[in-house]
Amino acid sequence: MAGDFVNRALVQLVKRAPWLVALWARRHRFVEARTIPWTPLRRPLAEATVALVTSAGVHLAADPPFDMDDRDGDPSFRALPWDAPRPDVTITHKYYDHSAADRDLNVVLPVDRLRELVDEGRVGAIAPRVYSFMGHVDGRHLVTLMEGTAPEVARRLVADGADAVVLTPA
Amino acid sequence: MPTVGITLQKEITRRVKPPRAVFLRYPFGHPMGEAFAVRQQRAILRLALTTLESATVPGLVVEPGWAWRRHRFD
Repeated sequence: MAGDFVNRALVQLVKRAPWLVALWARRHRFVEARTIPWTPLRRPLAEATVALVTSAGVHLAADPPFDMDDRDGDPSFRALPWDAPRPDVTITHKYYDHSAADRDLNVVLPVDRLRELVDEGRVGAIAPRVYSFMGHVDGRHLVTLMEGTAPEVARRLVADGADAVVLTPA
Repeated sequence: MPTVGITLQKEITRRVKPPRAVFLRYPFGHPMGEAFAVRQQRAILRLALTTLESATVPGLVVEPGWAWRRHRFD
């Protein structure tokens, strides 16, 4: 109970004072790439299939929620159809204030905005599935994310026919 | 797989080094802006896709400078 209250207070504090996160980030040990990964876009965007991936904790309500009890977070992912009916979609993530995203999923996962760009011919197509992680992943779960779940999502994106991905954080 | 990411934290982006990113000085929980702010959300997504298309240098971070709740999106 007390832990949840503290977490909720921290979420609101960090939302209003993002410089606190910058301070934390300067001291935190991240997994840093030695080189910057680079793959060029190989076809014009108007002919490309674009996929969406988020770390905002989005999932079908019928699927298991992300683990909020493990202090090291949850390295798993969820897949859902890009056009899943809104009542069927929910967010499990206690490390950010998702009240805006609860009202409008596009705040963290711009499915409607991307569909409009497809309709306008700016983008070729939307990949059939969107993928979501829950962005709090630390400690022992980092290896699982880097060597297991993230590469699995990459494989699925290729199998889905995606030519490019737009990534959105929480 | 070519990617472009929205980021709300420049320091983390600097350390993680994604291939392409759009940095917005927006509060956490709002990578695409405000709820039901269609013009804002479209502008952010269009900028991300333009960055995806036009970036030639790995590590590019585009910063449009749109002030939270103050910038007017036409």
